[in-house]
Amino acid sequence: MSVISTEDEQKLTERLRQPGQCRDAFGEVVRLYSEPLYRQIRRMVPRHEDADDLLQNTFIKAWGSLENFRGEARLSTWLYKIAVNEAISFLDRERRRQSISLDDQQQQLVAQIEADENIDGDKVARQLRQAVAMLPEKQRLVFNMKYYDDMKYEKISEILGTSVGALKTSYHLAVKKIEQFFSGQD
Amino acid sequence: MKETNDILGKTGRNDGIAVPEGYFADFAARMTASLPVRPEIESESTVLAMPRTPWQKIRPYVYMAAMFAGVWCMLKMFSLMSTPADPLAIESYPELADALGDEQFVKEYVVEDLNQWDLMDELIEDDDLDLSELPMPDSIDSESIHNLPENFQ
Repeated sequence: MSVISTEDEQKLTERLRQPGQCRDAFGEVVRLYSEPLYRQIRRMVPRHEDADDLLQNTFIKAWGSLENFRGEARLSTWLYKIAVNEAISFLDRERRRQSISLDDQQQQLVAQIEADENIDGDKVARQLRQAVAMLPEKQRLVFNMKYYDDMKYEKISEILGTSVGALKTSYHLAVKKIEQFFSGQD
Repeated sequence: MKETNDILGKTGRNDGIAVPEGYFADFAARMTASLPVRPEIESESTVLAMPRTPWQKIRPYVYMAAMFAGVWCMLKMFSLMSTPADPLAIESYPELADALGDEQFVKEYVVEDLNQWDLMDELIEDDDLDLSELPMPDSIDSESIHNLPENFQ
């Protein structure tokens, strides 16, 4: 997830605090973080159009609450947190709007991945995304961050506000369920 | 688990997500252009706080003092409203008021109960009286006063 070094991220954070530079600095934040944030959102929300909207909302919210970002957490952690919250809120809203259960929504996500034209890779990659979509929300988030982004548990813990031990358990359970998914495919 | 690891190994952490060509470059341009203006964080002038005037500095203390004065006045007013009549006022003793209003009673009271020292004071105030010629008894009583020399009477 960290697209720049810690030192550069601190410099960027400092620039965000300067009234004369904050707009330019934020433009740089958008350029640097739009792709990793988009990918994180898109793994939760299969449709490109929805992910695009949520990515815009993420940056609008970050810009709107820039004065609340005091640099206690890393910039990337703060942005990731906003993006994850946006994705979870979107899924909740969709579930309420369509009056469907979590299971039904998972099936819907799998179907959307199946029908997704904006997808690269082979059949296995698509199947893996479908398996991940079948996971409970928390396990899905942990798996995405750990497996795809190769994020450290400590950082995931900061983003999700969950202990490292609980995250390790979630990841282990997620891998077990993916294994079961592929066993059922055979 | 081994089978899963094989599958995870096969994907090579590729999530297979594709985006329209030039999407991210276009998104960044679109996003930065649509960011709303926020003078509260972008303007230099709003960041610098205006120095406070002396009145602004003392105003909270003045308000606080006024508030305490108001409370004190209110308590004082309640106290005055609830206090009974002065116990030393003559109106509290109707018998005494009647007696003092009676001229005859006052005259008799003063004459009968006038003591020797009061009388001495009266005499001393007389300019013609020479105190050196006045016999000074050990104590002055009614009899001494009656036996005074004729020119002192």
